[in-house]
Amino acid sequence: MHSDTPHILREFDLAFEMLRKEVISMAGQARLNLERAMEGLLSRDIERCKAVVADDDEVDDAELRIDRIGMETLVRFHPVASDLRQVITSMKVASNLERVSDHAVNIAKRARKMLSRPECPEITFIEPLYALADQQMRDALSAYTDRNSELGASLQLRDKELDKMHKRLIATFTARLEEGGERAEDFLHLIFVARSLERIGDLAVNIGEDAVFLDSAKDIRHEKPAKPDETA
Amino acid sequence: MTQEHPATPAAASPTSSAVPAIQVKGVDFSYGDKQVLKDVTLDIPTNEVVAFIGPSGCGKTTLLRCFNRMNDLVPGAAVTKGSIIIEGANIADKAIDPVELRRHVGMVFQKYNPFPRSIYDNVAYGPRTLGERKKSVLDEVVEKSLRRAALWDEVKDRLDDIATGLSGGQQQRLCIARTMAVDPEIILMDEPCSALDPIATAHVEDLILSLREHYTIVIVTHNMQQATRVSDRTAFFYLGEMVEYDTTRKVFENPSHKRTMDYISGRFG
Repeated sequence: MHSDTPHILREFDLAFEMLRKEVISMAGQARLNLERAMEGLLSRDIERCKAVVADDDEVDDAELRIDRIGMETLVRFHPVASDLRQVITSMKVASNLERVSDHAVNIAKRARKMLSRPECPEITFIEPLYALADQQMRDALSAYTDRNSELGASLQLRDKELDKMHKRLIATFTARLEEGGERAEDFLHLIFVARSLERIGDLAVNIGEDAVFLDSAKDIRHEKPAKPDETA
Repeated sequence: MTQEHPATPAAASPTSSAVPAIQVKGVDFSYGDKQVLKDVTLDIPTNEVVAFIGPSGCGKTTLLRCFNRMNDLVPGAAVTKGSIIIEGANIADKAIDPVELRRHVGMVFQKYNPFPRSIYDNVAYGPRTLGERKKSVLDEVVEKSLRRAALWDEVKDRLDDIATGLSGGQQQRLCIARTMAVDPEIILMDEPCSALDPIATAHVEDLILSLREHYTIVIVTHNMQQATRVSDRTAFFYLGEMVEYDTTRKVFENPSHKRTMDYISGRFG
């Protein structure tokens, strides 16, 4: 049960609006960092990679701000029910977004190393994995901002697809790596990039679970996701 | 229980197989022409703490006072429909002796109100009224009641001191001891901490939690956090209707009704 009725205390609504805006802004920045890191890698643009590393501090600062606002809100207003879930999940989503941005930095750093070397055609193999991880992240954030528990819960199952794709890619890159030669280092970097994208998928699942908790007060963490025919 | 009643059915009929301490069935209550309770139905399980919350004038105190017929003292006040069953008897029935009822259903009020007599006499008052004269029995009752009220260690060396010399929190706990001295099954508390500072409030809340083992407690409170801390179940009242009744955890974590959500979160009241 969520209520849009204004609170008696105007400060309460202002604090919650500030919290909401901070999370949305942080989500935008974390996604931008991921996008720039991948574009830097795929289009061999070192400036984008540098920007990701430089801008990670902004995401770290946003996490600290969200935690501070959340703590202040808990202390000042003692929120209950969906208001309490809003504060708790905002802080948890911020923590997940900070880790997304860390993975974007990892990708950017790997990209910088690869860009100093001759072009690696197999780099495009990573694109479908990125597309899926990015879609997961977008849906997770939509589920959270729209309080859409159905969409949030769907991420668990869809993550299995991402995991399979990741596994296949790792097998491919590992085989190439084992062939040795000058390009072995590139495949090692690509394995780490794929690993970061897989982890971003996991973080999207976490955010989706937070969206479910926010919307319906159900804690679906560590539950086995229902197969599509079971949910029908 | 009527089907159209807004209360959560699961909570109105606790799963415990034990007979509820209090069963309220479709109760209407009026002060003269003014109806203040409308078709209220709920079961209060034995040895649980149930909190009544809601804005002023919603009927929560009126319902509490129905449980020991305190409303009898108000001219024109009456249960006009339904029944309130305690120990198998409809206590709304005028044939029930309210004095005998109040031996089973004790009450603690908003403002602590010890008699201007000794600590000992305050606790011994009820048993003496019921005819107990043996000092050894009275001594035992006084000690047991004060121990249960978590006050014994603080007053055992000054039982003859005047009760009104105690701190506010101690006086309220003394009133709780006085209520327990006649060995009731149910204790009603009408905003028992509203006149107390936070430390005294914590002592009384701690006491309420420990008393649950021996008594069924119904507490009216305007303090939401107090309801979350001390009660097993919470009933939310609005304009004479019981809007929601469920476990306290459910009510404060994920209420079923928007009006409950708006009230507990401070959006109206």
